[in-house]
Amino acid sequence: MKDTELAASFAIAQAKKRNRSEVGTDELLLGCLQVISRFGVVQMGSWTFDLEELGVDWLDDPEISEVKVAYSQAAVDLFDRAARIAAADGSSTIRVAHLLAGFAVENEGLMGDLKRSHGITNASWRVAVARTWSARFGKDTSVSQEDGSESGSLGDYLTPEEAAEALSIHVQTLRAYVRSGKLPALRLAGERAIRIRRTDLKTVLEPLVPQT
Amino acid sequence: MAYFVVKRDLPGVTLEILQSAGMRAKTCCSEMTNEGQSVRWIRSFYLPETAQTHCYFEAASRDTVEEANKRARIPFTHITEVVEMTPDSV
Repeated sequence: MKDTELAASFAIAQAKKRNRSEVGTDELLLGCLQVISRFGVVQMGSWTFDLEELGVDWLDDPEISEVKVAYSQAAVDLFDRAARIAAADGSSTIRVAHLLAGFAVENEGLMGDLKRSHGITNASWRVAVARTWSARFGKDTSVSQEDGSESGSLGDYLTPEEAAEALSIHVQTLRAYVRSGKLPALRLAGERAIRIRRTDLKTVLEPLVPQT
Repeated sequence: MAYFVVKRDLPGVTLEILQSAGMRAKTCCSEMTNEGQSVRWIRSFYLPETAQTHCYFEAASRDTVEEANKRARIPFTHITEVVEMTPDSV
């Protein structure tokens, strides 16, 4: 079974458990998160989502239910969007990553709640999906850098939190480095969020003893 | 089990929209089969000249095929039973 079919199966089970006649985008999001979860927890970018907190009983098998469910129009729209994203990604099939990327523009329901509670933006969500996808499946999603001279994978770009962790410093210290120009950073187009190239981290390091 | 063709008029449809519909059909058929109503989407043909789609399903009844398409929220104009013929069967 493909990951999207598994996500849909989880989503349908969620709708049945909630006694709903339609599978909506909330159930689809939970289905997608369940597919990429481990021990009931999803780590995407700097965010951690606990399926239990989201109402998913990830350990139990879905109960046999007499409820018959259909996809809602919002779910259809999401599948259509995911199909367009898959085509743009050069994929012949719709994968969970394409469905998840399709949630980036959602501002209502569960996705809207997650955006507000975790400070998620459209672009930061897509970056996190791409990076999670690359880490799990090894797909190298190349992006053009601002000067067009070279390209790198999304795995080469870190959030301030990840960069701070890599340097074992507080994130506020890292942000101070960025503000002062000590550490180069890039801004996501049209967003406040910044990213730091992994290779730029060494610019804030210097030998303890000056080399001659 | 019998075979059925589901006819659809889909003017302006794109390959992406068809892919989306296909995924929904596949997952709804799978769910209905789990529930005890065996239904399987076999294949579809898109007719560019008429913007029609002919989708073939295997199921016990026409009603089962109709329910699968309604659950997948894929519009259709007509569902009818068909008889399969292949070069090997004649």
